Amino acid sequence: MGDYVYPSLKSRIKTEYKIYILALLFIAVADSIGQIQIPLGPGKFILFPIFYSLILGILSGPQVTKVIQSKQVKAASKLVIVAICPFIAKLGINAGASLEIVLSAGPALLLQEFGNLGTILLAMPLALLLGLKRESVGATHSINRESNLALITDMFGPDSPEARGSLSIYIVGGMVGTIYFGFMVSVIALFGIFHPYALGMASGVGAGIMMASATASLAEIYPAMADQISALASASETISGIDGIYMTIFFGIPLCNFLYRKLEPKLGRIADRRIEKRAKGKEDRS
Amino acid sequence: MRYVEWTFLFILSGIGIALANFVGFDVGFMESLPGIGVLLLISILGVVVHKLVPLQLPIVAYVSLIGLLAACPISPARDFVIEAAGKINFTAPLTMVGAYAGMSISGQIKSFLKQGWKMILIGVFVMTGTFLGSAIIAQVVMKITGTI
Repeated sequence: MGDYVYPSLKSRIKTEYKIYILALLFIAVADSIGQIQIPLGPGKFILFPIFYSLILGILSGPQVTKVIQSKQVKAASKLVIVAICPFIAKLGINAGASLEIVLSAGPALLLQEFGNLGTILLAMPLALLLGLKRESVGATHSINRESNLALITDMFGPDSPEARGSLSIYIVGGMVGTIYFGFMVSVIALFGIFHPYALGMASGVGAGIMMASATASLAEIYPAMADQISALASASETISGIDGIYMTIFFGIPLCNFLYRKLEPKLGRIADRRIEKRAKGKEDRS
Repeated sequence: MRYVEWTFLFILSGIGIALANFVGFDVGFMESLPGIGVLLLISILGVVVHKLVPLQLPIVAYVSLIGLLAACPISPARDFVIEAAGKINFTAPLTMVGAYAGMSISGQIKSFLKQGWKMILIGVFVMTGTFLGSAIIAQVVMKITGTI
């Protein structure tokens, strides 16, 4: 048990105190701004304090205002898990309070895990059309959060095109995932195709912060069903956290490889031709 | 992390939740206190179980499960737990998560901007695909089983 990051609590505080002060400051700012609802067509785009604190956090970093350094950036990523635990506990309590709904939705909860494979069906053809090769396997095999990134790196090696693709989507998800998820969910809810329970369940994708953003939006759109929605989201998130890795190993990657073999020769050629044409156009001009 | 580090960081999170609950929703510190105590206790128990049980499950899986047990119909503390946690506004614990998450990705903003539109577009499809796929199956299965 000798592999602690810090020799003592005191040295942790010494390195991280700036993070703590900034986090509390950002909370004070973000929550005094509060929720903002922007009407967008027939629906609304809801901004939550979590978005403002996220953006303030990015701005404080070493690549913008340099208030915090790389050392603290690394430390902050470990703190996310600490801060999300109380929220997950609250969702767990909601699930316990609405246990009947969770139990009656049991079969749907287990089966909807396969829905994560929808990622591959939707995003793989696009990635190939845009000219990605093996990168597409890493990029579209799953929602690409920490555990998926680690798995892909382990399976294909850190220098592989698959790991490059996975890392790219991991970064994109981290930057825009929280905000995009809340927005996407409110747009999909508008269509009225899905029952709010199904939307709640689909929010648990194995990325706590994205689930939080989606659930917060849904609670705002369907206040009367907020408890049941968050109960189902929490149950689904928990199941995703447990079986996500196995889904990827036994279903996700094999499906990616299969689709890649079938689709790449066709879609890849379209992309290649387009890229060639553009290169030729540039040549002609010069 | 040592227990003392976890405990310190959880108490800090508790202060963050109390602050968000007060600034954002006008819930006083003393009124938030029982709810925060419940959430932090469940979180710490989750960490303890995670350290003791040799399964490779994420901490949040245990925290969620313990929360569910604490509030389920056979729990003796059910009413207290549900009432106390109910005082904590749904989004209040999230602001701190956002602050930490923002700081932790702040080192990647340049590589994000370099990704170009292709990767961002694929990322949007990835996120939408995961959500839609799950929603479709959930909807169909719950229709069949008569839950909705």
